[in-house]
Amino acid sequence: MKLRKSYLSVITSAVLLAAGAVTAYAQAPTDPQIAGIVQTANHIDINQAKLALKKTSNPQVKEFANQMISDHTSLEKSVNDLAKKLGVTPEDSPTSKQLKQQAADETKKLASLRGKAFDKEYASHEVAFHQTVIDAAKTTLIPNANNAELKSALEGAAPLLQGHLEHAQQLEQSLGAK
Amino acid sequence: MRPSQLQAHIYILAAVAAVLSAVCVRAQDAQPGGAANHIVIIRQVHFNPPQMTVKAGETVEWKNEDIFSHTVTADDGSFDSGLIDPGNSWQRTFKQAGTIGYHCRPHPNMKAALVIQGTNETGAVANVAGRGGTLKWSPPTRPEELHPILVNFTAALLPLALLSDVLGRIFRRQSFHHTAWWMVLYAAVITPFTAAAGWWWRLTEGSTLPAKLITVHEWLGTAAVLLFVVLAIWRWSIHKRDTSPNWAYLTFALIVVLALVYQGSLGGRMVFGK
Repeated sequence: MKLRKSYLSVITSAVLLAAGAVTAYAQAPTDPQIAGIVQTANHIDINQAKLALKKTSNPQVKEFANQMISDHTSLEKSVNDLAKKLGVTPEDSPTSKQLKQQAADETKKLASLRGKAFDKEYASHEVAFHQTVIDAAKTTLIPNANNAELKSALEGAAPLLQGHLEHAQQLEQSLGAK
Repeated sequence: MRPSQLQAHIYILAAVAAVLSAVCVRAQDAQPGGAANHIVIIRQVHFNPPQMTVKAGETVEWKNEDIFSHTVTADDGSFDSGLIDPGNSWQRTFKQAGTIGYHCRPHPNMKAALVIQGTNETGAVANVAGRGGTLKWSPPTRPEELHPILVNFTAALLPLALLSDVLGRIFRRQSFHHTAWWMVLYAAVITPFTAAAGWWWRLTEGSTLPAKLITVHEWLGTAAVLLFVVLAIWRWSIHKRDTSPNWAYLTFALIVVLALVYQGSLGGRMVFGK
C-alpha cells in the first residue's frame, strides 16, 4: 500500500514537472514579444493615470498619476528607440493580450468608482500592477531576452519600477486603502 | 517731546518699516548662484555616489542625467529640490555638520546620504566663528552677525514690557507702566532693523536655509515689525491718557509675545538644527 502511494506520488510529480516545463516553453517570449509586453504595460499605466487625472481630486493621487504619465512616456520612448535601433518590431503575445484584458476589466471597474473609493482602487491596482510587472521582468522577460542590449535595458528599468511600486505603496498607505 | 511730534515719529517709523518690507519682497526671488564644490549625478534611477562627504560651507550640485524627473528630498524634511527635470540640476550649500539622508520623492527606493564635516557644530554660526574662532572683537558687518545681535533686543524688550504692565496692574504702580511704554517703543524702533538684517541674511544665503522654515520665519518676522508698530501706537495712546492698559491690550501683547517666541524658535532651529 505504502509502495503504491510512493509510486503515485512520483508519477504525479513527474506529470506536474512535465506540464510546467511545457507551459514555460510555450510562454517563453521572443524579443519582439518582450518589446510588445513592455510597450503594452507602458500604455496601460499611462492610460490609467490619465483616467485618474480625470476622476480624482486628491493632490497626492494627481501627483502620482502625473509621475506615471511622465515616467512611462519617457520609458516608452526609450523602449521604442531601442527597438528601432535593434530592428525589433514589438509583437503581441499571450502575455500582452492577457495584460490588455486585465487592464480593460480594471478600467471598467475604475470608471464605475468615484471619490475616495476610486483613489483607493487606483492606488491598490498600481501596487498590484507594478508588482506583477516587476515579477514578470525578473522571471520571464529578462531571462528570455536574447539581445544583450534589450536584456540590459530591462535590467535598467527594474529600479524605476521598484520606485513606482514603493511610491504606490506609500500612496495606498496614506489613503488607508488596506 | 509733544504727543503730536511723537505720533509723527511713529508714523515715520511705520513708513520706514513698510518701505523696508517692500524692498525685501521685491528682492526675495534673487538667489545666489555659483560653482558647486561637489557633483552628484542622477542616472538610471540612482544617486551617484550614494554617499558623499563634504565640508560645512561647501556646495553640492545634483545633475539629472536620467530620462526621468527626480527630486532631492531630505529624509528629515529640511530641504526639497522640487522636481528636477532631465538635463537640469539643483544645488545647495550645507552649513551644518552632520549626516543627512535624502531620497527621491517619486522614487522612494532612490536613497543616498551626505556626510557634512564641520569645524563648528553650530552650523550657520560657523560663518561667524569662521573668522578664526578668535576671541578678539571685531565690529559686526555681516547679516549673520547683525541679525542675532539685534534679535536679542527685540526678544528681551517686548516680553519685559508685557511683564512690566502686568506688574503695574498688580502693584498699582504707574512707574511700571511708564517702563513698559518705553520698552514697547524701543522694541518697535529696533525690530525693523532686526528684520532688515534677517532679510539681508536670507537674500545672501536663502537657498542654503531650510525652505519651509525660512518662509515662515521671514514672513512672521515682517508681520512682527508691523505688529510692534501697532502695539506701540496702542501703547502710546494708553500712555498719553496716563492709565493702565486694559485686558484687550494685554491679551494682544501676549499674542505678539507668543508669536515672537515661536519666531525665535524657528530662527534657533535654522541656526542650531533640531
